[in-house]
Amino acid sequence: MIGIALKMLLGDRLKYVALVAGLAFAALLVTQQSSIFAGYTLRTGSWIRDTGAADLWIMDPQLVFTEDNKPMLERSLYQVRGVDGVEWAVPMYKGWLNLRLPDGTRVTTRLIGLDDASLVGGPPEMVEGRLEDLRRDRAVIVHADQVGDGLFLKQGLAGEGPRPLRVGDAVAVRDHGLEVVGTFRSSPEFFWDPLVYTTYSRALQVAPPDRRMTGYVLARCRAGEDPAVVARRIEERTGLEARTPKEFEAATMGYVLDKTGILVNFGFTILLGFVVGVLAAGQTFHMFVLDNLRHYAALKAMGAGDWMLARMVFAQLFVVSVVGYGIGAGGAALTGTFAEGTGLAFQMPWEVPLLGFVAILACATLAGGLALWRVLRVDPALVFRS
Amino acid sequence: MMAGAMDGLEGRADAPLAVRCRGVWKTYGSGDESVHALRGVDLEVRSGELMMLVGPSGCGKTTLISIIAGILDQDRGEVVVHGADVKALKGREKALHRGRTTGFVFQQYNLLPALTAAENAAVPLLVLGEKRKHAVQRAEAMLERVGLADRARSLPAQLSGGQQQRVAIARALVHGPRLVVCDEPTSALDQDTGRRVMELLKEVAVAPGRALVIVTHDSRTYHFADRIARMNDGAIVGVDAPSATIR
Repeated sequence: MIGIALKMLLGDRLKYVALVAGLAFAALLVTQQSSIFAGYTLRTGSWIRDTGAADLWIMDPQLVFTEDNKPMLERSLYQVRGVDGVEWAVPMYKGWLNLRLPDGTRVTTRLIGLDDASLVGGPPEMVEGRLEDLRRDRAVIVHADQVGDGLFLKQGLAGEGPRPLRVGDAVAVRDHGLEVVGTFRSSPEFFWDPLVYTTYSRALQVAPPDRRMTGYVLARCRAGEDPAVVARRIEERTGLEARTPKEFEAATMGYVLDKTGILVNFGFTILLGFVVGVLAAGQTFHMFVLDNLRHYAALKAMGAGDWMLARMVFAQLFVVSVVGYGIGAGGAALTGTFAEGTGLAFQMPWEVPLLGFVAILACATLAGGLALWRVLRVDPALVFRS
Repeated sequence: MMAGAMDGLEGRADAPLAVRCRGVWKTYGSGDESVHALRGVDLEVRSGELMMLVGPSGCGKTTLISIIAGILDQDRGEVVVHGADVKALKGREKALHRGRTTGFVFQQYNLLPALTAAENAAVPLLVLGEKRKHAVQRAEAMLERVGLADRARSLPAQLSGGQQQRVAIARALVHGPRLVVCDEPTSALDQDTGRRVMELLKEVAVAPGRALVIVTHDSRTYHFADRIARMNDGAIVGVDAPSATIR
């Protein structure tokens, strides 16, 4: 009987195509918007993931996400080093400072100061120069993708015109002269202020003096130690907050979702896609069922029970769902492929297609609910009415 | 039993009862809006008999055939089909009873447009759970009996009205039902085609152990019946041999 149900469905080409198109559009919207949402939310943790080497991030307990600025006293570093289970700990500076470019253009940058000895926490990939070049006098490195964007010399130097910042250029922070010695590349971020790396000690020299200058302490746990356990130990001993990279990522993501409204915006679009799918597929499927009501009545008269008819309707819904979802999700994946390199935040972790499929199945089930009710309620005596 | 009720049953008067209706009432609506579709109908149809139900529009023929077929319940009275009290059966049991014992021929054929003639004829077997391949083979054999062996792969839209009704007859008989109910099987057909459809029904559907109940307006087909039950205003007003009715 499932075969008959599918032949009934495929036999009405126009409605079949309309059903598939409605669900495909819903699947495209749901999957594509979910993927872009996933892309943006995952980007909130890019800097943490790129920093990589540490098992634990130790910070002021009031700090809620990566772009928050609540430095600690320098003694925090030594307190952390003294906690049992910590193999090593290094300081990191992070502050928002105005960088003056050679042509006088001023840009707010995120200045990151890395531990002078180890340079732990540096960017994942150098494009020009080496990370160790940071140990040269007055050295900073800048993001290769931002030299032509946020770090662009808009006014240009005399005789040159506007141009990107480049290695060898002299820049300054609070009248402290610095020199670009290299460029790096890191994962695309949700946050936009250009990243500039230098050493911890140089960052302290150029930043406005304060009692509290240490942004983070990055720590590695001894082999065999559970980072979560060591984190709790650090918190008990120092009164600071210690988070695993995953915890810090989650806190940052949660804060951004809470404060920016992107969850509501994307959620609304996804909901809209769902509703459009339900309405489009629901109306078409209802018309399909109404057109075939006499046939369902005939089947019922010939002995088909409610369960058999329900299975036929669900088989029809399942097929249009799978085909519609395949087209829609495939279209979404193609969008992601074509959008590579355009800056569009598109990530399709396995949860997105799975949730998309569940959403489309739910969409089809809701759409088919009324139609199924009509089929189950159809009076078989209808077959004797001309 | 009313006078003349056994006329036309020569040689089958002692055949077992296929259908027995006793004091069957059916009312649609309630209060001032109520309409009595059946008013205490008594009717007997014997196995091997072709019984026609005739009468003016709205006299209750379709209601009676629906109750006999088990797709509508009477309000009062008793309907026994091949020994089973149809009203007493519930839900799935009733659907199964219909599927196993009853074949249907509808006025508008009710063939599924996306299925071939053979697949349409196989539907009752598929409903009963038979494997598709075997069901289609049996349906093709039945199509051969109704003279459509060469059109087994045709879709309904590729068949004439008479051919479609022959597919419907094959569908009604493919599972060997003991009761076949036909609702105006010739009314959508021209005179010649209608006659051929009735000849076919008489030839392949009438069989020992099987009863046919045909609702019709078409007086040109009355002579195919063994007996004719005349209805008026929800009641049987006479059961006669065709010769009496035609006269």
